[in-house]
Parts: sequence; C-alpha cells; structure tokens
Amino acid sequence: MRKRSLVLIAIITICYFSCERDDICPGSTPTTPRLIIDLLDAANQDNKKNVFDLVVIGVGNNFILSDYNFADTDNLVLPLKTDVNTTQYKLIKEASINDNGTPDDSSDDFIEGNQDIITINYSREEVYVSRACGYKTIFKNVTLNLDASDTDPWIISRQPVTDNQSVEDEAAAHFTMSH
Amino acid sequence: MKQQRTLQCLISSFVCILLFCVSVNAQNDSIISTPNDSLKVKLKYGLRVGGDIGKLVRSFVDEEYTGFEISADYRLKKRLYIAGEIGIEEKNTANEYLDITSKGSYIKAGIDYNMYQNWLNMDNMIYSGFRVGASSFSHDLNKYAIYSTNQYWNQFSSDEKQEFSGLTAIWVEIILGIKVELFNNLYLGLNAQLKILASETVPDNFENVYIPGFGKTYDSSGIGAGYSYTLSYRIPLFKK
Repeated sequence: MRKRSLVLIAIITICYFSCERDDICPGSTPTTPRLIIDLLDAANQDNKKNVFDLVVIGVGNNFILSDYNFADTDNLVLPLKTDVNTTQYKLIKEASINDNGTPDDSSDDFIEGNQDIITINYSREEVYVSRACGYKTIFKNVTLNLDASDTDPWIISRQPVTDNQSVEDEAAAHFTMSH
Repeated sequence: MKQQRTLQCLISSFVCILLFCVSVNAQNDSIISTPNDSLKVKLKYGLRVGGDIGKLVRSFVDEEYTGFEISADYRLKKRLYIAGEIGIEEKNTANEYLDITSKGSYIKAGIDYNMYQNWLNMDNMIYSGFRVGASSFSHDLNKYAIYSTNQYWNQFSSDEKQEFSGLTAIWVEIILGIKVELFNNLYLGLNAQLKILASETVPDNFENVYIPGFGKTYDSSGIGAGYSYTLSYRIPLFKK
C-alpha cells in the first residue's frame, strides 16, 4: 500500500512539472524597454503640461504610433529600434487632417500641424531574459537631440534625467522636454 | 481361570500400548518440522548490461532529439544492486525567439533496491533507486530575435551562431521502476526518474535550457523528470 502511494506521488509530480507552461512569455516580465519622456511646462519646469492633438510618427515608418493618434498627453512612451543605433520621431502638435479638398477621398489626406523631429542616439546591449522571452535590448549612452534647423519649434528644450542616461526599464521617465 | 486372566491382562496391556503408540505418533507429526520439504533457492548473481530503447526510438521519431544510454547493474546482495548509466544526448530547443542546440554526455551512479518478493526462482524487480548524475555539455545558440511587446519597429535578430561550451551540472535523482525477466537472463525494464539539480555552471548572458542526462530545466525550480525503457542482458557469474 505504501509502495503504491509512493508510485502515485511520483507520477503526479512528474506530470505536474512536465505540464508546466514555460513557453509563453508572461506580460509581466520586463522585456525591451521603451523611452519615456515627460512633457513639462516651459514657464514652470516643475509642472507637467499637456500637449493637445499630438500625432507621433516614426521617421521611416508609414504608420502613426497607435498610442499617439491625436492624443492629449503630458508624457511620451516611444519604442526604440533594436537593429540600429538611431531612432527618429516626428512629433506633430495640434495636428489635424487636411482632406486636400476631397472629403470623400481619404487617399490624398495629409496631417497638418507643428512638426518637430527628435533624434535619439544610443548603444545597444542584448540581455538574456528567459527561454520564453528570449533576449531583450537595453540602451546605453542615450542622447536626445532636437532639430536645430527647425525655424518654428514647439519643443523648447530637452534634458536627460541623469547624466549618461540609459534606458534599461520602464520604471521612470528618462528624459524631459519642455514646451 | 488363571490362564484367562493372564490373557486378558496381556490383551489389555497390548491394546494400551497400541493406543499409546498411536497417540505418540500423532504428536510427532504435528511437532517435528520437515526441513527436507523446502529447497534452498539459489540466486543468480552477475553483471546486467543494457541499452535504452526508448531513447533509441525517440532519436528516430523526434527530429529535435538524438540520444543513447547504456546502463549496467551488479547484484551485491539479495535485494541490493549497484547501478549506473552513461549516455549522450543532443536536443534542439526552438521557439519564435530562440533556437538552441544542447549537446553533451553524462554519467550516473548509485544503487537500486528491489522491493518485490519473488516466487521461487523468479527474478523480477519492482525497485526504487538513487543516483548521482554529472553532465558535461555545451549549447549552440543558432539564432535569436529580440523580444519586445511593441511591434512598431522590426526587432533585431541574429543568425550568427554563438557557442556556450565547457558547462557542467550535477544532480541527484530518485528512481522508481520495474524489470521483468522475459527470457532467461534477458530483461525489459522501465523507470521514471525525479531529478533535483544540485549545481550547474550558468553561461554568461544565457541559461541552461536543457542539460543532457537531466533533461529540460524549468524556470521556477531545479526539479526535472525523465524516463527510460531498457532492454538488458545479465551475464551470469555465479549462484549463491
């Protein structure tokens, strides 16, 4: 009788461990972090300030970043490219769609507004996470630059939160921009 | 008259003796054991050598697996065996983000204890065992892709092979199994193994997803599991 229960326990244990799901990356696991930028009031840099009808489009990407599709927000969360050391974004403030005189035809529509381009440079490091999540990229020596040739910028200044800023997690903002 | 009494006395004493004798005989039957009834069964002792047919079949069926194991045991006492295994394994672990080939060899040594009471000259086993295992192995990271929850940009991926070599692991395992004598000295066995990882060299910026001999590892614990089907032959050496 004792032998039989011993065998049963062993079988249950083996089943339990072989049925465990290690193959799906859980959403709670921190993987490749995104760049977080707080938008501050230029007049009072202690306060956050909303920007209205913001559209964010990656340079080299035809799609609007889905979180910033005419959004009112005081912070930006931007994914960085993991295959090159530079990512550029077009930030369009108070954007609107110009239907180009043809309201029924959406193919020739374009977005109007005050557009600023930001350039983020960094070095990359691949870090092992787990068998289900594989590797993530973390970003070191991150710099954020505004377009100096822009004659009508809405972003007045930018500032990293720490010296030698890196982007290793999404726990806190990495940069601030005032407007 | 006197003669008749003498005869009576003789007869009665004879009957008396007869009765007494019978009763003595009956008592003898119930008390004295008969040692000659049971034969002393001599047990076969020898070296039993076998191969893992389960791993052999899996090597042909499963494209991601190649492996073989040779096992041996030697009877020390009536129920106690010294036992060991030696083997090689190569296992491919692949998903959307990783493609890893783990390969290496291992050795296990320990004891088996037969819990089964055999009848007469039968020689089957229901046994539990204990092993200490050690493995030397390497991983080839064939390719990987960066995981990101955001798919706005295409993620970096690498096809460049990276090798993590010179890795070792040590574990202990508990075995439950059976061995059945199919023909004279030929055995078919199957067993299940529960393994507890004692130590491992963790590769830099990587992890041991599979350890030859130990099997698949799990993120949450150092416990692993395995099984084997063995076909083995006992080389009889002596009887005792």
